[in-house]
Amino acid sequence: MLDNIRWLIPSKKDTLPCGEEREIVVSSRIRVARNLDAIPFDIKMKPTDAEHLISVVRSVIEKKVDGKFLDLQAMKPLEKESLLECHLVSPGFVKKGKPASVFISKGGNISVMINEEDHLRFQGIGCGLNLVNLSSEVFNIEEFVGDNVDYAFNENYGYLSSCPTNIGTGMRASVFMHLPGLVFTNEVEKVLKGALQIGMAVRGIYGEGSEIRGSLFQISNQHTIGFKEESLLERITKLSNMIIDIEKKARDVILNKARNEFEDKIFRSLAILRAARTISSGEVLNLLSALRFGVGVGIIKDITLDTLNEIMVVSRPANIQLHSGEMLEEQERDIKRAEYIRKRLGDKV
Amino acid sequence: MLCDDCKNKPASIFFKEVLPDKTVELHLCEECASKRGLLVTKKLSPVEILHKLLKQQSAQDERVICPRCYMSLAEFKRVGRFGCSQCVATFDEHIKSLIKQIHQSDRHVGRKSTPGTKKGLEVYKLREELKKALEREAYEDAAKIRDKLKGYGIEDA
Repeated sequence: MLDNIRWLIPSKKDTLPCGEEREIVVSSRIRVARNLDAIPFDIKMKPTDAEHLISVVRSVIEKKVDGKFLDLQAMKPLEKESLLECHLVSPGFVKKGKPASVFISKGGNISVMINEEDHLRFQGIGCGLNLVNLSSEVFNIEEFVGDNVDYAFNENYGYLSSCPTNIGTGMRASVFMHLPGLVFTNEVEKVLKGALQIGMAVRGIYGEGSEIRGSLFQISNQHTIGFKEESLLERITKLSNMIIDIEKKARDVILNKARNEFEDKIFRSLAILRAARTISSGEVLNLLSALRFGVGVGIIKDITLDTLNEIMVVSRPANIQLHSGEMLEEQERDIKRAEYIRKRLGDKV
Repeated sequence: MLCDDCKNKPASIFFKEVLPDKTVELHLCEECASKRGLLVTKKLSPVEILHKLLKQQSAQDERVICPRCYMSLAEFKRVGRFGCSQCVATFDEHIKSLIKQIHQSDRHVGRKSTPGTKKGLEVYKLREELKKALEREAYEDAAKIRDKLKGYGIEDA
């Protein structure tokens, strides 16, 4: 049971391709939407069209990239939820009623959703600030597919999408940042408002409408037409670097003014994570935030960011069940989660 | 420096406007800048703009119909999604300003699609033909179609 996607759950061995400023930038993501010219779009698509699309694209991708195709309709709800928690598929995708499939590369950092709202959604995810490298990986596979099928393209509007909000480049680049310094110094609203003014969207880590928790923020472009892909990536990288600088200064201010108070908060968080016998995923997210801050500023030296990233993904409700290899009720999940975290951080109690 | 308008709060926004005959310089606090409309406090997201614009309907919308998927402009405005790659060209004059308002641009300058050899369309059509050939048990035709598909790298037909 559950072996279908268990290989996706990160283990100590696995690390995603990494970029810079990892103590502040948790991960970067790029998504590119494409549709095939010959096949009706989502809303007018028949199930037979959807099946054709899967088989055409599958035969092309299999020639190029090592990985696995997962059939959405054959997946258990828990497995779908887990893919969502790993950020490999979108919330809209797991709710699809028609034939749909997702390709996941061997390393787990590239995925292609077939029959999301658009025929194809190529996606790349990596840790740290890494947009440029990620984009070349994503466009590499997008181009290969494009050599074999005709994308819906219009000279004026560029790549055509199901929804007008994705037309043009079809590209959305996101940077997930951990900004406790800005949260504590009450500067976060001002900085993020600035991002909104220049056409960026700011959200919680699980996309549109998701709550902002654990001082984690997602910055992404709102507009998809009227610029070259490279210049957009440059703009988001530049903006991210500006926010990183402000965050670093805020962290210095905090440590200069209230080092004892913050050291206390960090070590108490570590103590809870190392000792708890039952813990919710929400509490983990908040405690990890303090811990990440401690690792980032060098107060905690024996824990790596890789370990924290792994705990953040594995301790989500569906992933912890896959990690344990069994389906669990909420209370049992909280116990298994606490057990797993104690093991990863070294049980000291 | 205090705000030029309220003379009370510290100025955090520096505004400079160059007019033909003079230059206006203002030092304002966030609140007063907002009152003058110099700060957009709540910007609508592209999705919010789309929903707002789609409400602008006209009686003629039912008569503008995509020749390929038969989606009418009225239907597009109801669902906010295109039905096929032909819809955009069909609704062009009606959606130009919509796209511009959503994205502040209506001109693609990014990557271009490799000139089409219509492989996607061909493969799709061939698969349809193959299905029909198999339905009428015309196996010779089916074999020929399979060979063509192999030429496109499709081995599993």
